[in-house]
Amino acid sequence: MAATLAAETHDSREASHWDRRQVTWFVVAIALFTIYPFVDRALGINRLGSWLPIFVTIILAMGLNIVVGYAGLLDLGYAAFFAIGAYTNAILTSPRSGLVQNGYIPEFLQHFWPAMAISWVVAAIFGVFLGAPTLRLRGDYLAIVTLGFGEIVPNVVVNTPAVTGGPLGLNPISAPPPIPLPGGYDIRFGASNQIAWYFLMFAVGLFSLFLINRLHDSRLGRSWMAVREDEIAAASMGINLVKTKLLAFALGASFSGFAGSVYAAAFQYVNPSQFEFTVSISVLSMVILGGLGNIYGVIFGGLIIASFDRILAEELNGPMHWLGRQTDIAFLEKHDLNSDRLLVFGLALVVMMLVRPGGLFPNARREAELTEESEEVTVRQDQQLYDIRHENEPAVGERA
Amino acid sequence: MGDQRLNELVEQLRGGRIDRRTFLARAVAAGVSAGAIGAALTRGQLASAQDSTPSPTAGTLIGNPAIQHSTDTSKGTIKLYSSWPMIAASEQIGGDSREAVALALEDFGNAAGGFALVYEALDDAVPSTGSWDPGKESENANLVINDADAMVYIATYNSGAAQVSIPILNAANPPMAMISPANTYPGLTKSTEATEQGEPDIYYPSGVRNYMRVCPTDDVQGAAAANWAFNTLGAKSAYVLHDNQLYGRGVAQSFRDAFAAMGGEVMGFEGYDVNAPDYQALMTSIADTGAEVLYLGAIVNLNAGKVLADMRSVMPPDQVTFIGVDGLFNQAFIDAAGDAAEGAYVTFSGLPPAELQGPGDLWYNKMVERLGREPDAYAAYAYEAAVVAIQAIDQVGNKDRAAIREAMINTDGFVGLLGTWGFDENGDRSSATIGLNIVRDGAFTFEEEIVPAS
Amino acid sequence: MEFNGTLFVQYLIIGIATGALIALIALGYTLVYGIIELINFAHGEVMMMGAFFSISLIALSGVSADSAGAAIIGMLLLTLVLAMAFSALLNFAIDRIAYKPLRNAPRLAPLIAAIGMSFILQNIGIYWQGSNPVRPPSIIPLEYRSYNILNEWFALDTTIRFRLLDLFVLVTTIPLLIGLTWFVYRTRIGTAMRATAQDREAAALMGIDVNRTIGTAFLLGGGLAGAAGLIALYYNDNGWYRMGFRYGLFAFTAAVLGGIGNLTGAVVGSLCIGLIWSMSDGFMKQYVSGWGAQWTPSVIFGVLVLVMVFRPSGLLGEQTVDKV
Repeated sequence: MAATLAAETHDSREASHWDRRQVTWFVVAIALFTIYPFVDRALGINRLGSWLPIFVTIILAMGLNIVVGYAGLLDLGYAAFFAIGAYTNAILTSPRSGLVQNGYIPEFLQHFWPAMAISWVVAAIFGVFLGAPTLRLRGDYLAIVTLGFGEIVPNVVVNTPAVTGGPLGLNPISAPPPIPLPGGYDIRFGASNQIAWYFLMFAVGLFSLFLINRLHDSRLGRSWMAVREDEIAAASMGINLVKTKLLAFALGASFSGFAGSVYAAAFQYVNPSQFEFTVSISVLSMVILGGLGNIYGVIFGGLIIASFDRILAEELNGPMHWLGRQTDIAFLEKHDLNSDRLLVFGLALVVMMLVRPGGLFPNARREAELTEESEEVTVRQDQQLYDIRHENEPAVGERA
Repeated sequence: MGDQRLNELVEQLRGGRIDRRTFLARAVAAGVSAGAIGAALTRGQLASAQDSTPSPTAGTLIGNPAIQHSTDTSKGTIKLYSSWPMIAASEQIGGDSREAVALALEDFGNAAGGFALVYEALDDAVPSTGSWDPGKESENANLVINDADAMVYIATYNSGAAQVSIPILNAANPPMAMISPANTYPGLTKSTEATEQGEPDIYYPSGVRNYMRVCPTDDVQGAAAANWAFNTLGAKSAYVLHDNQLYGRGVAQSFRDAFAAMGGEVMGFEGYDVNAPDYQALMTSIADTGAEVLYLGAIVNLNAGKVLADMRSVMPPDQVTFIGVDGLFNQAFIDAAGDAAEGAYVTFSGLPPAELQGPGDLWYNKMVERLGREPDAYAAYAYEAAVVAIQAIDQVGNKDRAAIREAMINTDGFVGLLGTWGFDENGDRSSATIGLNIVRDGAFTFEEEIVPAS
Repeated sequence: MEFNGTLFVQYLIIGIATGALIALIALGYTLVYGIIELINFAHGEVMMMGAFFSISLIALSGVSADSAGAAIIGMLLLTLVLAMAFSALLNFAIDRIAYKPLRNAPRLAPLIAAIGMSFILQNIGIYWQGSNPVRPPSIIPLEYRSYNILNEWFALDTTIRFRLLDLFVLVTTIPLLIGLTWFVYRTRIGTAMRATAQDREAAALMGIDVNRTIGTAFLLGGGLAGAAGLIALYYNDNGWYRMGFRYGLFAFTAAVLGGIGNLTGAVVGSLCIGLIWSMSDGFMKQYVSGWGAQWTPSVIFGVLVLVMVFRPSGLLGEQTVDKV
């Protein structure tokens, strides 16, 4: 499955711009991720579980990249969509959900795959719903309204226990039915079948990557970039700003519907405290760190931050204690890095930004903007600053 | 790779330069596999070192006195895992419980049933959020069932996390024992009015019970407090406040229901925003209802001290009685509330750590020496949970998850830090006596034992 | 349910005091934002560091509630000044280390650096005072903590409380706000700040040292945050490594609500947030059955969204003349 998808992605127009080296990297990465679970099991590394949430956060980062990277709309409340995706799946399929118990959900929808498709749609609808009031806003005003939604959604979820289970959350949640294999075996999706989940998430991730790549190269994708660069110019070229921005919100949100429903099913549990502001912030960090607008950079940024969060901070303890013993420094030997995780996480963000302010892999088009015409860019930024101040409403209204 | 390091350590141990615990800790840290450590021990390399390990005196031990303890380690290594948050706001509370488990192992000479015991504390929180994470908890649970040396999972702190990991351990073949020092949500083990449809069976897909807890559940505690407030204190009206989390809301609900059932008037049932910097307006509105009791269901690191402080600024102790739940039974709560804590009631099963008697007193002194401060009240449960696991291994004497699980669930006549108890058929602590404590001079003082209305 | 006037006045007092405190922090956001368009995520943490600095300083000084009145007041004033200086320098240093090298980087790079700084400072806060809430050294004598001015000074027979603490917040906040306004409108460097905010290039052409001006904005914002730290510490009788994050979120919301970059707007926005908060905590359950304080975050942010829909540049967003 992974192989066909890889081939398809390879065929896409974006891929056709690639040179051989990039194709090689892509194939090697796919191959590594495909064999990893077996290596993990064989060597007893036992780290497969960390990769499931890492994949989910990467899918989130890819979705957020549409909103922030492609369309240039800063979103500080993306976790709200993640929550909506996860809760849609849970409410549709959990036997504990009020809607299921009252018989409002037809039986055929109470399964993983239909629920996942509906999550995708529901997240997109909420994207439009939450995006619509923000159309007249620009810059950081928009950011703060999305932040507001990010605070409101978990608060509403925790306060409406009849539908969402309130602080108790919802569980269990329907998992995909077993996939039969030739030879009488089948792939089961239980909470401890980590390999199955690993490949399911990997496949969903590749599928999202494929879709997003197609979007990026489509007419719509080019409209997003035009709007990002200069709204007025884009509008006068005949781009419908309302439609373009709403689609950015809707499609950006829709991928968190994927992420949310897979996440809910893999851990068989949703709870409002999983979708707080800090989640939005760490996903945004991944997008910016990797390189706004460059989907592969974003994936890499997601890999770095999420794996640091879940793997590295723990694994670094061993080497440090070893160093402490070798050098006889009691502090190093006794110290537990777990208590510095916030510090190390913060330092990593600051240092990476200082070293590579455009992100690890800046989007080629953006980079061109920033280096060749840096003078003009400064002016443009000032212009924008000025704009926010002196914007008078009719003009904004017209544009919207 | 670790062989050389292991040999060095063996030499150090023989020379008496390090003790066995340090040896094990360092060997594990050096990446030596548990099997290799066990083999080193089995080969008798450490025969001389073993003799130098002082065997624990009976006075320091708790547990079922009928179970024979063995400090022999010839059969290899068994690993005990724990999982709860140990960073950010939970650094102290989680750290205290971790140290309590480590102390239990030390007290038993890091051995049981012919095996050397190794303890690893997993963290189910992630730094970016600072609180427990379902993905991390699921990972921990899977890691444990995939480790052939692991026999017992001492977890979790949050009942929500237990909802994630119980089914994972239960679906393992055979189901593996999980023992929690702190999950108080009733629905994990039994069905009451406050639990959801389908609980607790949804957590046990294999139909076998593999989960038990050494702390009493919310329903007992809330009902006992309501009984005391209505009948002993004579309060006729109460206001119920909670932190809008599973635990806090759960206890608050059971108090509300019990209080109303006895004929008391519940003036309000409300959640507070744990992220709000102050609660003065909220408290003013509560004072206006004229309630005689304020019942608070919350945990100490969700701003509860601030809630109490703001309450006292409008409701003096002679007018309104404050009753809190065992999640507040921590010196940090008194420290955060300051003078406002004076006269506040907090329920907890048993005595405050500082007032434990006999083995409890010894335990308390060891913990204070180890931590340099008062241990969190739940650390006592973590210690008991670890001892239950150690004694089960002693009884079985084999790497047999099913047998160890059986032995743990059948625990009875256990002389604990907080009284003698066993597990009932649900895996709940059988004698769940609730103690009522009052804050006097900046410390918890035991008042009396309370029970739910019959 | 019947409208209760006494309670209304009480919530008004609480809301204004809280709003004033938030305003001190919101101004820091708005000052920096007005000049370099950066949401300084670490600003709340600077306030927290100011509070922690105050705890350490007062504990070190040995002044306690038993000391002479003059010593207590003197110590509080000294702490205020030093905490402001400490936070100002801290904020300035953060700018120099983490934001200044990114002045010409893509707009979101400094935002991520700021998020990183915020994590770093939180962790330093944990090292410094632990991960649990701590109480500041008790320095205000017990009888003054719940001292009700309306009863004691004006001999009014009322249940409305206007405590010495509320007054403490106002008498510290208002002079600071006046001082800031004076600084921004009446001094040369203030004028330079306003000019830089209007048009950085033109200001530079006019001979304004843009970097110095930006540095000043960080110093000023940090100083106000330091003062807010000390005030919040004693107003809440509580300090915590997360206090900065919690106040910061509200303060930033307030700054946007008022129209970011606008000094008056930040104060108005803060008072709005303070009032919505106290009214929602207090009145909500009386008028909507089943609701209560647990809905307050939704109410605050719901109002924010509504304001943004109808006034896309904030409550005072159009008063361009007042911009900093």
